[in-house]
Amino acid sequence: MLTNTAKSSNLALCPQCHKLNDYPAYADKKEKVQCVRCLGKFYQRKPYSLQYTLAWNVAALIAFIPANLYPIMIIYSLGIGDPSTILSGIGQFVDQGLYPIAAIIFTASIIVPLLKIIGLFLLVYRVYTGVRLRPEKHSKFYHALEFLGPWSMLDVFVVTLLVAVVELGFVTSVEAGPAINYFTLTVIFTMIAANSFDPRLLWDKKQNSETFKEENDNR
Amino acid sequence: MNTHSDNKYLIACHQCDALFDKPELKQGQSAKCTRCGCTLAERKVDSIERSYNWSLAGILLLMPAILLPIMGVTLAGQYHHASLFDCILVLIDRGFFMIAVLVFLFAIAVPVVRLFGAFYLTYSFKFNKLKPSLLYFFRAFHHLDNWAMLNVFMLGIVVSMYKLIDDTEVSVNMGLLAFILLLISSTMAIAALDHDYIWQELEAEFAD
Ligand SMILES: [Zn+2]
Ligand SMILES: [Zn+2]
Repeated sequence: MLTNTAKSSNLALCPQCHKLNDYPAYADKKEKVQCVRCLGKFYQRKPYSLQYTLAWNVAALIAFIPANLYPIMIIYSLGIGDPSTILSGIGQFVDQGLYPIAAIIFTASIIVPLLKIIGLFLLVYRVYTGVRLRPEKHSKFYHALEFLGPWSMLDVFVVTLLVAVVELGFVTSVEAGPAINYFTLTVIFTMIAANSFDPRLLWDKKQNSETFKEENDNR
Repeated sequence: MNTHSDNKYLIACHQCDALFDKPELKQGQSAKCTRCGCTLAERKVDSIERSYNWSLAGILLLMPAILLPIMGVTLAGQYHHASLFDCILVLIDRGFFMIAVLVFLFAIAVPVVRLFGAFYLTYSFKFNKLKPSLLYFFRAFHHLDNWAMLNVFMLGIVVSMYKLIDDTEVSVNMGLLAFILLLISSTMAIAALDHDYIWQELEAEFAD
């Protein structure tokens, strides 16, 4: 079934104020139009959406490697430093029997970033090829990814708080490790990647392939 | 395909671009997209009034939440505590400038700007002081939605307490209470804000 969309009716939705604007058919896809309501300039679809998503995604994946190799935190007690990476920090929670906390950090620091990176690669691939594209399911998946994004900052905030609070001179203190920079970059890059993706492309692609099928059937 | 000449009576889903007739909503009602299931339009109850009150409460809580110590530790007779602002200072002190800037943005600057923004908007509506500049202001306001992370920081406080509680004596300070209240007020202030209504009113006032 074909649905009337704003695009097929030569209209475009302003992403900021959600006002429907006329979008003349002659307007090039890469040309911005000005919203009659909020006066912001916007595109009918985000241009080069897939390319941008892919690029930020690759950057996130690269930053994720040193984020896991370097220590994120070094605990000093009586002058002796004990560095821990993201994974070994989670291991310490498991050793202490704090399973819920270990699960929360593991989800926020490992599962969510990986899920976002792999998920966005998958979405870009699906939109590009149109193979087994199910917009109903895939757009829900995209929303989940978008929602989860900021929660990956959890470990950065935890380390920040520990560094600020635990400062008892020689007795014990906490220092941040270089991994915190790389990990923060991973989170920011995946958030920008998710922002660059235009979920309407999922539906466009589906619509296009259905139009094509109908034309073939009519022949 | 479409013969409607006036797109005033149409509405498009911002997630899947499907086109619908604009629904007439009463306060408290919302319309869902039949194609992808996301919310198409919404009219919130007492939006201006509620957002005004919550954002005012949030603004009053800002200073205590940022400056009062959130928690402290005691070990071998020594005591040290830290506030949200101390976190930023410590990061600068240790040379983690990028993290300092980002934590400042996500946990302080963006939430502060959003609170004052919501307050300024609702104040202008409540006392009928609409200005054309509000168009630009509210448009910029939307860009901040993804980058406020007070809720994540709250979870960070809980996790770091768990981490410390094993080997040290953890104490909770007034800053934590202020921070929790700030989190609640700013969440409520933003959730109560009725974007569709505000845009409609601004359009009726200033569009030609
Ligand atoms: Zn607009
Ligand atoms: Zn929809």
